[in-house]
This record gives sequence, C-alpha cells and structure tokens, in this order.
Amino acid sequence: MKAFAPDSAAARGLALCHVCYLATPVNAGHCPRCGSRLHLRQRESLQRTWAFTIAAVVLYFPANLLPVLRVESFTGDYQNTILGGVAEFWQHGDYPVALIIFGASVVIPVLKIIAISALCLASRTGRRARTMTRIYRITELIGRWSMVDIFVVAILVGVVQLGSTLSIHPGAGALSFAAVVILTMFAAMSFDPRLIWDAAARAEDPPQL
Amino acid sequence: MHPAHFTQQLVCPDCDALLEMPDLREGEKALCPRCISPLLTNPRNSLHRTAALAMAAALLFVVSNCFPFMTLEAGFRHSQMSLWQSASGLEAEGYPYLAGAVSIFILAAPTLLIGGLLYLLLPLLWGRRLPGAVTLCRWVLATRRWNMIEVFLLGALVSLLKLGKLATLTLGISFWAFGGLIICLTAALVSIHPRELWARLEMPES
Repeated sequence: MKAFAPDSAAARGLALCHVCYLATPVNAGHCPRCGSRLHLRQRESLQRTWAFTIAAVVLYFPANLLPVLRVESFTGDYQNTILGGVAEFWQHGDYPVALIIFGASVVIPVLKIIAISALCLASRTGRRARTMTRIYRITELIGRWSMVDIFVVAILVGVVQLGSTLSIHPGAGALSFAAVVILTMFAAMSFDPRLIWDAAARAEDPPQL
Repeated sequence: MHPAHFTQQLVCPDCDALLEMPDLREGEKALCPRCISPLLTNPRNSLHRTAALAMAAALLFVVSNCFPFMTLEAGFRHSQMSLWQSASGLEAEGYPYLAGAVSIFILAAPTLLIGGLLYLLLPLLWGRRLPGAVTLCRWVLATRRWNMIEVFLLGALVSLLKLGKLATLTLGISFWAFGGLIICLTAALVSIHPRELWARLEMPES
C-alpha cells in the first residue's frame, strides 16, 4: 500500500497531468485537456532513474580516459582528454577558461550523479524533503552545461579544415561524454520528487498495524 | 478574467501539495508553500510579448543559418564554418551519432521551439486555434530542455581561446545573430507559463 501525505493531491485521488498541469481525478484515465495518460506518480521512477544513472557512471570512465580531440599540425600530433584540455588551459595561464571547463565537464557531471543517487535514497527515507526538492530543481537546470566540451569539439572540427597544415579530429571520448550528459538528463527526468514527500509523510505518521 | 484561473485547484508538480488557485496580479509569481518550488507566474502582456519575441527569434535564427559563424586564417589558408557545419564536420569524421546530437541541440530543437510558438501564439492573438495545436504544444514544452543554444555559444567562446594560439579566428554575422537569438528565445520561453499556454489553448475565445 502506498501512503500519501494527507494534504497531497494524490490522497484525494487527484493526479496532476504531467504534460498540461491540469488536476484531474486519476480514475478518468486520460487528461481531458491534452489526452495524456494520468498517473499519481511517475511509473517505475526509481528503477528508471537508477538504470540511467548506472549507465552514466559506466560510460563516465571511457569519457574521461579516451581522447576527445586529436590535433594534427606541422609541429606534431597530439591528443587531448577532457582533463588534458583543462590542464592545457591552466598551463597557458587561462585560469578562468580552465575553471569553466573543469566546472562544466568534471564537477557538474560528478555532482549530478551524486545528487541523483542522494535523491533516490531520500525518496526512501523522506529526510530533508525541502532541501532535496531544491537539489532536484538545480540538478535539472545545470546538467545541460556539461555539453560545452562537446560543442567545443564540434566547432573545432568544423572550422579547422586547413588540409596538411592543421587538422582536428574528434575522439571516441567525445561520444562517451555526450552519452553521459544525455543519460544523466534522462535520469533527472525520470525521477519523481513527490516520492520524497510521500516518504516524509510515512516517516512522520507510520501506518498503524 | 485571466485564463490561468480557469481551474480552481493548483497542484505542485514537485511535492504534490493541493492548493487553491491564487489570484495573481500581473508581475507576481506564486511559490509552493511546502517545497518553495515556483508554481505560477503572471507576466505582463504575456501573449503579445511572447509572440513578438518568437518572431524576432525566427528572424535571427534565419540570419544565423545563412551567414558564416566563424572564419579561420592561418598563414595563407582560410576556412569558414557555418552553424550546421559544426554538426556535419562530425558526421564527415565518422561520428554520425555525435553529429545527430549536436544538430538536435542547436538546430532541430530551436526550430521546433520557434516554429511551434509562432504556430500556437499567432492564431491565439486572434482567438483561434489551428489543428494539431495540442500535440504541438506537448512537443514544444518537451523540447525546451534539449535546446542548448546558450551552451553552444559558451563552447564557441572557449574554441576562440583554444585556437587563438594556432590561428586567427574571426566571428561572423551568424555569431552575433546567434547571440541575439539566445536572448530572444530565452525571453520568449520565460514570458509565458506552460499553465497559461494550456489554459489559453483550451478556451481560445477568452
């Protein structure tokens, strides 16, 4: 049996349409305004969130170990991983750029994976529901900025077409990294923050046996 | 009467609190009392403003696709890149999936957003709704998170610095139009709340 907080819409059998935000009795089946299927909570939210998160963690290793960029120039060839690119900016004294790339490509994905795991745990304990809901909203907002490194690769590959003088090629790391970003976005989309509030209500008022 | 008041009950999407629809004045916004998520906004003149911004975004998007985005010079050699070539370059290098992802984030998503907003909002200005509006509205709202034009602009700035040591990069007309596009499209998406859009689509005559 699922217990909902007494002041929640679900406790009255009302479902919020996830597409058009209309509150409708859940036994109507479909939203009368936009026709979407109605559910009190996202289906298999935790299973899907964990699945996407674990896939992202697995791909995080090739994303960081494989090169994202290969540069061929008359002075010689070299490869760059994501961290290598950060180190290069740092050595050239471009500290702000190094920090932006480090933040977007390393800190945000790692924090996002930790945050999503913490949210999944919080949806069982229900502790600190308000803080956790805020973490959920921030997680949804910032994930996209990790894509900046992929766009740098795309732009460099697109603009540098100088034949034998200088050429830039994408590396397999770029593909894995893009997959990590997209998977963590799917993970955040699959998570239903209302589960945290359901758990909080259960913890406050345990069901009588 | 403001169309957002059509339904009497307001449910917080983040914590499922059941609330009464507040009576918002223009410029006010409502937060959920339980989880402090933003619930509802009532921007001034939202329909006209969003339609105007979407039209400006459409023009700027056309401009940014018709002119070179960046030009590179190294010695006597010279190459140009338009917006779509940042995706097609990856495809030519044997990364079709990466090329597909980039073209969704910077070309397909903004096209759907701008086109969709115009298709929905322009008829609403005259109290009409065109066929397929409900399906299109679902697609437009779902596309918002996959539109990454502002992240792409940051990537362009980083690329400038990255290549600055090897060659001379100059920014084209497309780059500046793209910057304007980001401002207009972001402002358009902020100036109408999805709840209001749905309420207006439901009863276009009000």
